[in-house]
Amino acid sequence: MKQKLLHTIAISALALSAVAAHAEGKLNIYNWGNYTNPEMVKKFEEQHGIEVTLDGYDSNETMLAKVKEGNTGYDIVVPGDYMIAIMIKEGLLAEINASEMENFKNVNPDWVDVYWDPGRKYSVPYQWGTTSFTVDSDVYGGDVNTLALIFDTPEELKGRINMLNDMNDVINAGLRYLDYPRCNSDPEQMKELLALLVKAKDDWRTMDYSVIEKLTSKDVDLSQSWNGAAMRARADRPTLTYAYPKEGFTGWMDNVAVLSDAPNMDNAKLFVNFMMDPENAAMTSNFARYANGVIGSEEFMDAEMLEAPEIVMPAGAPVPDFVQPCDQDVVDLYNQVWTRLKQ
Amino acid sequence: MAKLSSLFSRSTGSRELRKQPLFTGMSWLVLFMLYAPITVLIVFSFNDNRSVVRWTEFSLRWYSAALENDDIRDAALISIQVAFTATFFATIIATMAALATTRSGQYWGKSASIALINQPLMIPEIVTAIATLSFFSILRHITGVTGIGWLILAHTVFCVPFAYMPIRARLTDMSVTYEAAAADLYASPLQTFRYVTLPLLMPGVVAGAMLAFVVSLDDVIITLLVAGPGETTLPIYILGQIRRGVTPEVNAVSTILIGVTVIMVTLTFFLQRKRK
Repeated sequence: MKQKLLHTIAISALALSAVAAHAEGKLNIYNWGNYTNPEMVKKFEEQHGIEVTLDGYDSNETMLAKVKEGNTGYDIVVPGDYMIAIMIKEGLLAEINASEMENFKNVNPDWVDVYWDPGRKYSVPYQWGTTSFTVDSDVYGGDVNTLALIFDTPEELKGRINMLNDMNDVINAGLRYLDYPRCNSDPEQMKELLALLVKAKDDWRTMDYSVIEKLTSKDVDLSQSWNGAAMRARADRPTLTYAYPKEGFTGWMDNVAVLSDAPNMDNAKLFVNFMMDPENAAMTSNFARYANGVIGSEEFMDAEMLEAPEIVMPAGAPVPDFVQPCDQDVVDLYNQVWTRLKQ
Repeated sequence: MAKLSSLFSRSTGSRELRKQPLFTGMSWLVLFMLYAPITVLIVFSFNDNRSVVRWTEFSLRWYSAALENDDIRDAALISIQVAFTATFFATIIATMAALATTRSGQYWGKSASIALINQPLMIPEIVTAIATLSFFSILRHITGVTGIGWLILAHTVFCVPFAYMPIRARLTDMSVTYEAAAADLYASPLQTFRYVTLPLLMPGVVAGAMLAFVVSLDDVIITLLVAGPGETTLPIYILGQIRRGVTPEVNAVSTILIGVTVIMVTLTFFLQRKRK
């Protein structure tokens, strides 16, 4: 009898807390944590009379794991470039034809025919940046624009280096230094890469994502980092210089996309169009501190961002290398290298 | 510390243990290793500047920032709501399970039931998380029901073994003579439970409930995968901040949570003493 009672309580609890996900005027956004300007969200809510919920994830892979199972209840996600390619292939994104939307004329033509979404049928630019490294020019006075600082470390930087705890960023940096192609499936070249990484690791101090804390606390003097994080670290430690290595560096772009099982499809499309407006793109940039892909947003952005060498690449810097997602056998090989490196 | 020593004095050979060389030193070292990081966390919540590693001067700005931060407040409320509800149901289920596995003699499937109840403890949490995610996704698709009930359900399930263990321990400690005496005096099983077993069992139930509450409050992996829109709990919120830089608001919120937990535990301790 007790169990029947419990059964009833449980069902009613579930039913009471059930929220109809198909109500008018709702939008559920799933973005990186602390990456969406709350004022921009408020502006969207007031402009369209839609109630927005915002949840945060810590990595593309967590988001993919949840979305792959389906019925998450989210409408908008903001995956990275390679993740968009993966999700389109898996049929997880709705074909919203962003190129036919009203505000699409504002998108910078450089970002229209990209490898992950040619013609922009599924997504629009959110923020983009580069992943390279930043170094204290007081500690190391020489030319910073080379990966030799990480893989053939000069004396003053030995033991003062932090690398990102990211398999792709570390392996790609090594491949660029050795001038080998990305998505490398050649076992000989990968063996050479592993040897290089293991030897260089002796000069590294940590492998950690908390780049800003490590640099501002002077735990390290050189850190692999994203350009926006480097700019924020420079606010606390003015001698930091962001490097654009001649061997190349990673470019990345986060994009706004709509899930194929989104409960609020129309509101989601409204939001995508909203994101392509220059003023709103600028609001995002001012909050997240990265460049956006929308022309005309410069007049609304903070002056500090328009002058920062991290955001505006100097002339003569190599073109950022947007790395495509690799095949499964290459990923398995990378995983092996990464596991060996982390031992 | 009082609870710790009472624990020791019940076991045999306690005198020898306390007189072991370096016992005091080791205890202090272990306590230090456990609590030093938390102490640093609390201290830096009063730090004036933004860095979580450099100290400038005393300030309460992060507390006001945290209390004004809508996201933190919402996340904390969701955490507490889920923890309370899950604890309530988990404790009820765990009490029933404990009674069934200690008071009813041998029956076919008893050890299997115990293993099933304790299964969330043995299986790696990520496995439980992904399995729950897949299962709920199918159920959501079939029933069309969404909402925080799913998250509460997931929490209830993994909180049950944590509530179960203290209750079962307390039951095995209690002798059956009280219940036998009540039966002799013509009490029905329900009356026996209500007037004899349950009051005697209360310390175990309270301990189980507290443990379940704390476990639900700081769960990360299962919540990360199972939570739906608008169901961000406090640990998930904090995790989401890591990629973009953590501010001392997190320190402030954590200190508040620690304070609340300490007060709760102290209250429960004093309540239990009065009962004796």
